Amino acid sequence: LRGKHGISFEAIARAAYDEGRGHLATTLLNHEPRAGKQVPLLLNMEEDEIALNKAIESGDTDLVFFVLLELKKKLPLATFLRTISDKPVASALVESSFRVSDRELLKDLYYQDDRPIEGSNLLLGEAMQQTQVQAVVDKLKLAGRLLTDAKDSTGQFHTKALTEAAQLLKMQEAFDKDITDGSGSYVGLSVNETMFRLIQSGYSKRAAKVQGDFRVPEKTWWWIRLRALTAARLWG
Amino acid sequence: MAPNIDKEAEHLRNKARKELLGLLEGVRGKKNLVIGRDLTGLLSLFVQFPTLKEYGVDKVFELENGNTDSSQRNVVYLVHGEKASLVQSVAEQIKKLQRNGSVEHEISVCWVPRRTLVSNRILEDEGILGDVNVSELPIYFLPLEDDMLSMEMDEAFNDLYLRHDPSPLYLASKALMQIQQRHGLFPRILGKGDNARQLANLLLRGRRELDADDAATQYTSMPSTSIEQLIIIDRDVDFATVLLTQLTYEGLIDELVGIKHNRAEVDSAVIGAAPLQRSQTGSSSTSPPPAIRQGLKRRIQLDSSDSLYEQLRSSNFALIGPHLNKIARRLESDYEGRHTARGINELRDFVNKLPGFQQEHQSLAIHTNLADDLSKHTRSETFNRELEVQQNIAAGTDPIYQHDTIEELIARDTPLSTILRLLCLESTIAGGLRPKDLESFRRQILHAYGFQHLLTLDKLQTMGLLQPRSSSSALLLPVGGAGAPSEKGTKTNYGYLRKELKLIIDEYNEQDPEDIAYVYSGYAPLSIRIVQCILQKQYLQTLHKSPLPLTPSSTGWAGFEDILKSARGPTFNIAQKPADEKAARAKAALAGTGNWKTLFFMFVGGITFTEIAALRFIGRKLAESGQRKKIVICTTGIISGRSIMEGVIEKSNLGSRLVAA
Repeated sequence: LRGKHGISFEAIARAAYDEGRGHLATTLLNHEPRAGKQVPLLLNMEEDEIALNKAIESGDTDLVFFVLLELKKKLPLATFLRTISDKPVASALVESSFRVSDRELLKDLYYQDDRPIEGSNLLLGEAMQQTQVQAVVDKLKLAGRLLTDAKDSTGQFHTKALTEAAQLLKMQEAFDKDITDGSGSYVGLSVNETMFRLIQSGYSKRAAKVQGDFRVPEKTWWWIRLRALTAARLWG
Repeated sequence: MAPNIDKEAEHLRNKARKELLGLLEGVRGKKNLVIGRDLTGLLSLFVQFPTLKEYGVDKVFELENGNTDSSQRNVVYLVHGEKASLVQSVAEQIKKLQRNGSVEHEISVCWVPRRTLVSNRILEDEGILGDVNVSELPIYFLPLEDDMLSMEMDEAFNDLYLRHDPSPLYLASKALMQIQQRHGLFPRILGKGDNARQLANLLLRGRRELDADDAATQYTSMPSTSIEQLIIIDRDVDFATVLLTQLTYEGLIDELVGIKHNRAEVDSAVIGAAPLQRSQTGSSSTSPPPAIRQGLKRRIQLDSSDSLYEQLRSSNFALIGPHLNKIARRLESDYEGRHTARGINELRDFVNKLPGFQQEHQSLAIHTNLADDLSKHTRSETFNRELEVQQNIAAGTDPIYQHDTIEELIARDTPLSTILRLLCLESTIAGGLRPKDLESFRRQILHAYGFQHLLTLDKLQTMGLLQPRSSSSALLLPVGGAGAPSEKGTKTNYGYLRKELKLIIDEYNEQDPEDIAYVYSGYAPLSIRIVQCILQKQYLQTLHKSPLPLTPSSTGWAGFEDILKSARGPTFNIAQKPADEKAARAKAALAGTGNWKTLFFMFVGGITFTEIAALRFIGRKLAESGQRKKIVICTTGIISGRSIMEGVIEKSNLGSRLVAA
């Protein structure tokens, strides 16, 4: 039959499957060039892995994602994650699509794939959604805890940054309590912005403490002072 | 009679309009239209709001606003069907409409560009698949100009390089298949880069699928006689070009103001308020009244329908001032012409020309003001320091010498995107930053702009734009592909290609440029140099010091194979053979050989305005040298360093959602 024009292997395969000859049907389907016709039948025949592979081969991401949705519904989570973990296209689609709708699934995925930094970043993202300072700090701590085993330099850099972020928030919260001159809240500003605001409002000592605590380089410090003082003089 | 390839842009525009209007006609009576945000601007490329009104559209809503009301019984959704999250929100809104509405709504959903299995499944799971009319609007390429087709997919860059989601490739293959179905197979497909190769594979596969479907037309079994070849370039072969600040007029507008779907929104303080009420645009009924909007921004159209802009757009920005001046003088003398007009006939001629003058006058006023505003930026100290760093890195000086300047720019609170572009440029060209330097910059960035940018920096690392030199994925390809195979670099080796393809042109004539390097004031985009390896072999030979293995009849990549091994990804050249050799030969003989042939370029992952200008420049040079060739540029979307950074930079911060205690 090979080489004949316009033959639908899908139709033949479907017939074979209906006759109960599953293996023959799968073999026949290999000759079907139209993935759109191939994949749904394979799914019907419970040939999950083959269906997923064929969908990926076709390059049609709709088809891939369709198979993924079916599999996710059908399989236990761990099996599902294992199925996709060695298929970059499939994991990429799962990651990009579930970022909005199912973050818990992503956390499991990163955990299983041993990607602590991605997992930690998810929590950092959640930290930004919190409405109370304490809740933000808690999320940051959780994010940091995921990285405790990470020995590489990136992991260590992240751990340090997360600690600093929490430390800065605490400081800013204190500034908000002490300083009530109407210059606005400090919480959420960056380190440099915090120093800038403090100097501009005349709290140079506090600013110097921030510089010390976060080991801000001298050169940066002087540029910030210069900008802040100029700004303060301009507006009063 | 084969369809005319030169009219492809017009054909696509008409087809899109006809299909959309046909769809609206199918829904009887008045209706409200709900559009996905990414489609609103896009519609304006082929249909105007008044036309929609004629077809019974009462109000237009944006899907993301979620404020669709029940004022009309008919509601039509027009949304991208490829993204599950969008589909989900459509489903939720439909359910909401069904619940609260006092009226029973007649709901239609139209997926762009196609109805997907996933969208079916989601609607089914929500239990509404049976209650809605589902259709599709197959828009793939949209014409921005007659020689410029874009898929206008804003997310394509992030999909491909950040999330490694190949959806844009599949849609691109569909788009190109449509062209093949009308005009015949691309006789030759050349390309460079991994995604380019993928796309070529999808095109070959698409042809097989069509064969199986019996949907093959006479064209898909036959190479085209009006198309010469398709050249596919993957963006990740050359990231550096996008990171540099574009220095053509159009490029600079895109960098500083932003151009979307041929439009820019400019402060009306800069160019003056709009003269009278201009024609309403597609999405306007959701916007505040025009009076308020005009106070802030004014939308200007930037395309070749404005002849003045057409002359200016591709010029290096340095020439815009003199150019505008010249036009102003000419216009003045044209006006003066009225004094010499004596006879009735001459006077009538003059009056007839007057509207043209006035239009040109208005356009001149806009561009003079705009150029003036842009030059405020280009004269600023930070802009010039930024440019200096860029030029030094591009020219190949040791980037370590630029670090002081970059640190100073951070301390002075220069916008984060500027800093990231400089660092990414260094990483791209030098094969990563020294780990110590990178860590120091990362710290400075977090301190200066906020800890949320841990996410931003990680994204850039995932994309391979900002990496430590130690990372295996940051390694450069060995010179000329000659190195031992154990040395596995993957990144484009700019150092080597800079010399071999002469990326830096020190002396060039600004007034009448001879090389594409004019678009970056001395740097020739690598991506376009690669195209020149196919089209302008002789010219590149003159730039190259030693003779290359070239014969006058060399085609494809011949002569440049070894050099291009140092650019990322595979280089390929595929010929598409006809199913029936004899018939093809007869047809080719019939079509003759002297005809103009069209060259298609496909930029996967986006193209910049500077590259477009450079390609048009090459197109002119080819025509001047007597080759009967035309170019058509295709892309997934138009990008710039600005748009890339906008897509990557984390917008919320650790305090953005806090409620005051």
